[in-house]
Amino acid sequence: MSARIGFAGLTHLGICSATATAAHGFQTVGYDADVGLVANLAAGEPPILEPGLRETMAANTHLLRFTADISHLRDCDVIYLALDVRTDDAGNSDLAPLRELIGKVAGVARPQASIVILSQVPPGFTRAYAAADARFIYQVETLIFGRAMERALRPERFIVGCAEPAAQLPAPYAALLRAFGCPILPMRFESAELAKISINMCLVASVGVANTMAELCEGVGADWSEIVPALKLDARIGPKAYLAPGLGIAGGNLERDLSTVVRLSGEHGTDCGIVKAWIANSTHRRDWALRRLAETVLEKPGELVIGVLGLAYKEDTASTKNSPSVALIRNLRPVPLQAYDPAVKVDSAWHPQISGAASALAACDGAAAVVIMTPWREFRDLDPATMARRMSGKVLIDPYRVLDPAACRAAGLAYHTLGRPAEAA
Amino acid sequence: MGANGFVGGAIVRHLRAIGVAALPLSRTDIDLLQPDAGEKLAARLKPDDAFLFVSAIAPCRDHDGLLRNLTMVRAVCAGLERASAAHVINISSDAVYAASEETVSERTPAAPADLHGVMHATREVMLRGSIKAPLAILRPSLLYGAADPHNGYGPNRFRRLAAEGKEITLFGGGEEQRDHVFIDDVSAVVGLCLMHRSQGVLNIATGRSVAFRHIADMVAGKFAQPVKITPTPRRNPIVHRHFDVTDRVKAFPRFAFTPLEQGLARVHQESLGGRRG
Repeated sequence: MSARIGFAGLTHLGICSATATAAHGFQTVGYDADVGLVANLAAGEPPILEPGLRETMAANTHLLRFTADISHLRDCDVIYLALDVRTDDAGNSDLAPLRELIGKVAGVARPQASIVILSQVPPGFTRAYAAADARFIYQVETLIFGRAMERALRPERFIVGCAEPAAQLPAPYAALLRAFGCPILPMRFESAELAKISINMCLVASVGVANTMAELCEGVGADWSEIVPALKLDARIGPKAYLAPGLGIAGGNLERDLSTVVRLSGEHGTDCGIVKAWIANSTHRRDWALRRLAETVLEKPGELVIGVLGLAYKEDTASTKNSPSVALIRNLRPVPLQAYDPAVKVDSAWHPQISGAASALAACDGAAAVVIMTPWREFRDLDPATMARRMSGKVLIDPYRVLDPAACRAAGLAYHTLGRPAEAA
Repeated sequence: MGANGFVGGAIVRHLRAIGVAALPLSRTDIDLLQPDAGEKLAARLKPDDAFLFVSAIAPCRDHDGLLRNLTMVRAVCAGLERASAAHVINISSDAVYAASEETVSERTPAAPADLHGVMHATREVMLRGSIKAPLAILRPSLLYGAADPHNGYGPNRFRRLAAEGKEITLFGGGEEQRDHVFIDDVSAVVGLCLMHRSQGVLNIATGRSVAFRHIADMVAGKFAQPVKITPTPRRNPIVHRHFDVTDRVKAFPRFAFTPLEQGLARVHQESLGGRRG
């Protein structure tokens, strides 16, 4: 009989991970104290937006159940602590809810069970529990908002932190990991906890390079999109390198890890100047669209309206955590805004004069400038000529190059995107 | 305070033009170098006043100048400690920043390289330590205007040389890029800060740095007679100064600086005796 797997904490991490585990043939129970949440999940109504999640849940209802009764975890061979750790605006983690949940789970888990911390914790966290309770293991989570099911169902590898890396993992846990068919990398607790952070530091470094060089391209007359293919063909950089310029780091996870590295460096006296530079660069890039608006329409006299397409911090998610779009909106308080997002409703707390448009085109109506702040797929279907007819002005700010620059130019729009010089209308 | 100076005078004119009741104070009203200056200042202040501190002995080039400037600041601090104001604005300078290739923003550490910068940086620290009211510290970049008495390297000196029929001599080829701000724009930003009761640090810069050579060409182009522009052998490495003006855009999204070409044209007109618009 295959192992029974439990997930405690049904946030984004827990829901996606539990669903993927069931999809691999394991009896899986997801626990959360929130009765309403549990009821919605049981009815196939997850509170999060992730491509493929609903379908995978629906296909595995015979293996996946949800409960608000923690005693249902008692029969589990492996119990994951899968609560997403919240962060404040400075990226500092609030670990208190996780610690509370750990205490409850440890109290109900069988002595032979494995308790696996999947939540995002700093180095040293797991050993503090494992020193007194040999059941504890740490496993790195590598989900990406908007691609979480893909990442949960087909992980690239499992990174496991344990007391004795050379020893065999507990049999039920090892069988679970083997079912996914990817490499399993056991290591000491702190290495695994720092591996998680290191992955994100590599990504941030790559994004920092992209942002810095893209900005330089805008000044010297180069086009970053012409340079990227050449970089990816360099074996030292690779075809999957993270080289798309963006509007700063958002979502919460990268910010948390940056904050953790700075804090740990301060505690241990190690150099983190480069990390602070990445953070500063992210802050600088976040306001790219604002600066372009200032140069093009804000400094001109007269009334104007600006259209904002996209509110979520990235496509395929409803999260606005550290969203560049919301940051832009908050900085445009004197200017009336029309905003549209397929998944996020406008919040009047962001801006005193913001209205929610019924569609992307409706957000363009009468706008002196339109800014595409989230690269939702549906925005790619917009016709620049139609947009230009509905706008009162000619400025299109498209940082992620959602639309075709040539089509925008043909429509008479002054096109602005990351990584290349601005074009006049 | 400092109403008779180039910057103070422009601010007073602008505030009156937009209907703000401005009380100009100069050395003849309160000599900040005198021991009773703080007391006299306190006697003038009302609780709902905004206090603009513009006075400075500038440029500050030697120790005596530094100490006199700090004496003035001490008097202002003493006055503001005795009698509160609702809002305080200090006109500082971008001289507080080190000469560096890095783009300057409000988060760039103050690391002055000369006594003039030290003076302004110390002034900021002293005011921050004394004042309870909202405090705005404005750090203008290089200023230009017809009434500027200083003859610093840049549009003011270039214009005077050209007007006297002399050649404009550049350091090197005039490659260094700097951000030049028209004096009227400083006044306008001060007006906005007063309206919003702004506090914190704000650089006053356009965000568009231009090479001195380009400025020399623009100034020379205003004169009917040809003006010779002469480069000289370069003695120091080229160091540009660019500003990241995001904070100013966030503070005042609809504010526009006078384009340099337009500002130089206005200065040229005013210096020929044309009226200020």
